[in-house]
Amino acid sequence: MILRVAERVVRSALIGYAAGSVWLRYKGPSWLDRIARRDPKARDLSAIHQKNADQIYRTATRLRGLLIKMCQVIGTRSDVFPPAYVKTLSQAHDRLPPREFEEIRCVVEEDLGKPLDAVFSEFETRPVAAASLAQVHRARLLDGREVAVKVQYPDIEHIVKTDLSSVRRICRIYERFDPQPMELLPLLDEMNQHLALELDFCREVESGDRIRKLFEDNPAVVIPEFYKEWCTGRVITMEFVSGIKVTDIEALDEAGIDHRRVVQGLMGIYTRKIMAFGFFQADPHPGNIFIQPGPRFVLVDFGLAKELPEGFGLGLFELMFSMMTFNDQSMIRAFDELGFETKTGDKSTYVEIARRMIDRSESRRFEGEFTEGMTDELFEAIRENPIVQVPIDFVLVARAFALLSGIAHTLGHRANVLESMAPGATQLRS
Amino acid sequence: MSLDAQTPVGDPLPEGPPKDAPIEFSEAQLLAEPEFDEPLIAGGVRCHGGFIDGEYVSPRTLVRMPAIDAWQSRLRLEGPGVVDISREFMPPHYPSLEQAKLLLRAGVQKPITRSLTMISIVEGFGAMIRDVPVPDLRAAIKEDLAGTALSHLTAGLFEAHARDEAGHRDQGGHKQMWEAARDLAFDNPRVPGDVLARLMQGRGRNRRPPLFPTLPEKVEGLIATMANVMVIEIFADDVFSWGEALLGDPEVSAAAEAASRMVSYIRADERPHVEYLRTALSEVRCRTLLTIDGGEIPGREVVDAILAQQLRGIASSRPREQREALHEEIRADIAEMRLSSELMRKFTALDDGWTFPRSEDDPIEIALS
Ligand SMILES: Nc1ncnc2c1ncn2[C@@H]1O[C@H](COP(=O)(O)OP(=O)(O)OP(=O)(O)O)[C@@H](O)[C@H]1O
Ligand SMILES: [Fe+2]
Ligand SMILES: [Fe+2]
Repeated sequence: MILRVAERVVRSALIGYAAGSVWLRYKGPSWLDRIARRDPKARDLSAIHQKNADQIYRTATRLRGLLIKMCQVIGTRSDVFPPAYVKTLSQAHDRLPPREFEEIRCVVEEDLGKPLDAVFSEFETRPVAAASLAQVHRARLLDGREVAVKVQYPDIEHIVKTDLSSVRRICRIYERFDPQPMELLPLLDEMNQHLALELDFCREVESGDRIRKLFEDNPAVVIPEFYKEWCTGRVITMEFVSGIKVTDIEALDEAGIDHRRVVQGLMGIYTRKIMAFGFFQADPHPGNIFIQPGPRFVLVDFGLAKELPEGFGLGLFELMFSMMTFNDQSMIRAFDELGFETKTGDKSTYVEIARRMIDRSESRRFEGEFTEGMTDELFEAIRENPIVQVPIDFVLVARAFALLSGIAHTLGHRANVLESMAPGATQLRS
Repeated sequence: MSLDAQTPVGDPLPEGPPKDAPIEFSEAQLLAEPEFDEPLIAGGVRCHGGFIDGEYVSPRTLVRMPAIDAWQSRLRLEGPGVVDISREFMPPHYPSLEQAKLLLRAGVQKPITRSLTMISIVEGFGAMIRDVPVPDLRAAIKEDLAGTALSHLTAGLFEAHARDEAGHRDQGGHKQMWEAARDLAFDNPRVPGDVLARLMQGRGRNRRPPLFPTLPEKVEGLIATMANVMVIEIFADDVFSWGEALLGDPEVSAAAEAASRMVSYIRADERPHVEYLRTALSEVRCRTLLTIDGGEIPGREVVDAILAQQLRGIASSRPREQREALHEEIRADIAEMRLSSELMRKFTALDDGWTFPRSEDDPIEIALS
């Protein structure tokens, strides 16, 4: 108990220290500017953004838990944060030092209500991957089946609560002191919601099952089977799946897997999830996608599965389609349908924003791909132009497409959403 | 508008050796608009095309239509004729007119709204024709290409086609026109949430290997795309009859006149599409294709084989699969409304059970007209 309190104090202090430095880095120069009667708005903040982002990243990877998640959330909110943050913090993924095996064993035994060797004939003590909230171990069930066991860190719920309240406290202080505060508290609430979802492994198993069912008709999609008997709120025991990491070009080449078909297949899968099913993994980073010869697509990690409102897919389709076909009129209608709002009611702003995005693409026309550059431009346009409000679902989807576009470019191809939807012979640009 | 075309605009090419009268047009000409008295506005949406002396005139046809007629008549003078697709291969629209009316009378609107929305989307995707990779045809075909539809594909024909299908800038195209017809007839119905799911069903199948591996990939690709779009466009005629009749029936349509007229305008716009594609394919057909290994293949062999393959693909398996999927969906829609199974029985009884008229190994002959 005392230990916990001490740990809590240390964590709060470290978080507070990082937050304070970040804030000072912003405010210091502008105070100087004011003293020197320079216009503080004229100062280029990008170097400071980068320094701050780096410090937050370092603190987060040290403390993990909520902070990593916070980084991941910031990494998804390009509509709020400057690019330096988004780039740096979205890297907060599974490259973390693992926890002691004994801690992991405790969680598994407690949750399954049995000693480890009553369920598993083998259990590798070195994890396959260690992420923010959990780590994954390779093991073998008594009947010989090879499994991956995803185990939540024992104290994670507690850590998350502590961190959340320290961050909340800091945000309140910040909002009191900063004359023009960024609205951070709503973001925290959003994060809180996401975390609650992600910490419930039963829900993750359900989401995985749901996606497997949706792709029943496509044998190229592989979702590991869950062994429900050994799944709990903190432990997931599933079929161990192997495959090549989707961005491992050398391994793909060695296996003779055609990059183009990988990109096409992947786009088909995600487009279908997002546009047709309205249920998708909001986080298609390369660590969660493996390729087997065929190619077959192995998808893991359903923690951030997200349900889109009805009609969203069609709205999104209409938006992209009208951008591709130069139809301004339909474009405005699609922005409306997706829940964008302008405070002045002047809808031509939408067309301007779309034009800015399109101008960022190589060919200067929208060809069905949301590249990272284009989404950056979109969010920049929106940050600069506060009359437009973006629906959060759109932000998540745009980011997912940008991630896929990143994967596609790594493989030397393009992530064309519309092409993967085109019927029959109109699938032209392959 | 001044035109520097070397041929008179209007009726088919008059007498005389066609080689003396190369038929060349600029992209701007092929996209040129007739001077409309008034534009077409549907359901508050400005669409393409418009009216001259009270008659609907399709968009971008001022030069395009006479040009196609001229290329085509030249072809008829020179060659064996223009390819066509026998209507016996055309799968009828499902649900049929009678089936659709039965559903609508019983208050089951969802399958029809879905069907119309899917038609609008598929029409819209027609715009992707502007992105077909087009190889250098002068290097791929042995004979001269001057004054052909083929040499104008990327000089206006594909672009006009794309604009017709998906609209352009402030004008709606067929996509928006079908939506308008749907919204007029059924008074802005709710679009079913599963439309895109349906559209993307059964994807991820592997692509067919090329039929002519010695041809440059893009050459076979272009011919296959044109063949595919042509067949779809010709088969669409049945969809138009269905749409005009259904949306024009005051018993089931809230704006019978306007909705049915809208479909008839779309139908009229498709004529240039069918005709330029028939012409271009026929031009390939009476020429010689060069292979990557220095050989030659008669265009006729290639075009006919690809057309037959496309016909089998489009007409044989797909309607059956689609019909089965649709049947299930309609069953679900009916069940959702807690209607009697009697309705389903009547619906099934109206099924005409159409099948493709050739078995797997029967040859498919390509018609000329
Ligand atoms: N069934 C499995 N078979 C083999 N490896 C797996 C399996 N499930 C997960 N892994 C590996 O473990 C890693 C972490 O798993 P997962 O992504 O589910 O954890 P996470 O905590 O949600 O991570 P993050 O949120 O950072 O993506 C995966 O990237 C993958 O490499
Ligand atoms: Fe059309
Ligand atoms: Fe058409």
